[in-house]
Amino acid sequence: MRYVKWGFWLTLVLVVFGFFHYTLPQHDIVRIADTYEKRIDFGENSIFWASPDVGNATGGVNRDVFFIQTIKPNGKPMVYRNEDTGFGWPPYFKLDTSNLQTEATDLKSDKAAPQWVSITHYGWRNEFLSIYPNAVGVKPVSGPDVRIIPWVNIVILMALLILIFLIRRMWAQFRERSIDPVMEDVGEASQEARDKARGVVSRFFAWLGTWRKKSSK
Amino acid sequence: MFGAVRLAVFGFLFLAVIYFLVSIYSSSLRREKLEKKWDDDIKEGDRDAYISVGMKDYAGSLRKKLILLIFVVPVVVVVSLLYVTNFM
Repeated sequence: MRYVKWGFWLTLVLVVFGFFHYTLPQHDIVRIADTYEKRIDFGENSIFWASPDVGNATGGVNRDVFFIQTIKPNGKPMVYRNEDTGFGWPPYFKLDTSNLQTEATDLKSDKAAPQWVSITHYGWRNEFLSIYPNAVGVKPVSGPDVRIIPWVNIVILMALLILIFLIRRMWAQFRERSIDPVMEDVGEASQEARDKARGVVSRFFAWLGTWRKKSSK
Repeated sequence: MFGAVRLAVFGFLFLAVIYFLVSIYSSSLRREKLEKKWDDDIKEGDRDAYISVGMKDYAGSLRKKLILLIFVVPVVVVVSLLYVTNFM
């Protein structure tokens, strides 16, 4: 039973951590090698793709998606997709996909004269599912060792902690003011019923006792 | 723009539920405070009348009006996110 409990909590922690790791923005320092677009037929990985550009028809089985090919400072490749999130999930409200693609193409550089950029993105790269993180913003930085403080994540996580604390307080208040008094009433009522029942029984025994007392006299 | 309309409608419904719950919570806190104050300090006169006067004051208070920020803040956040993500 203890292992079931551990398993439950471990799964919950993993799911919550995974959710935030996928959804919250992250910054990568990379060099843009090239940009391209490719038609994607969405399959079992369709949940990891966003939506068509805002205003276009939805529900098509395939569409062209922008991609940004980059090289990380350690020389390894990283490919980002570039899609509108529109007004859906995750709530980045990104509508400027084509503008972002233009900026990314403008910041292209080669190995000899690298122009390092910081790409803000969410999502995961996974070769087994053919999924790519979605680039949300791009801006040039001075070098590959720039340190970026994730203010947005700090603010979001703090706000969530405050929200959880508030919900706990609200629930405690609701319990104290609305549930506990009712439960007390129920408790009192059953106590009364028990007293009543005990009254009958004990009166009977008391009555028996009157005989005993008499007989013992 | 259908997505924006859908977000506005469901967002409003969601925020209305939150507003409802938070106003219950806030007025419950105030009522408890009034009850405690009467029980600890005042202890004379009509307890129910004291509390109902206090709750009437609360109904017109700034604190109760501030709960309306629940509808304002998310709209400001969404509009500023739209600006920061797309036009900055």
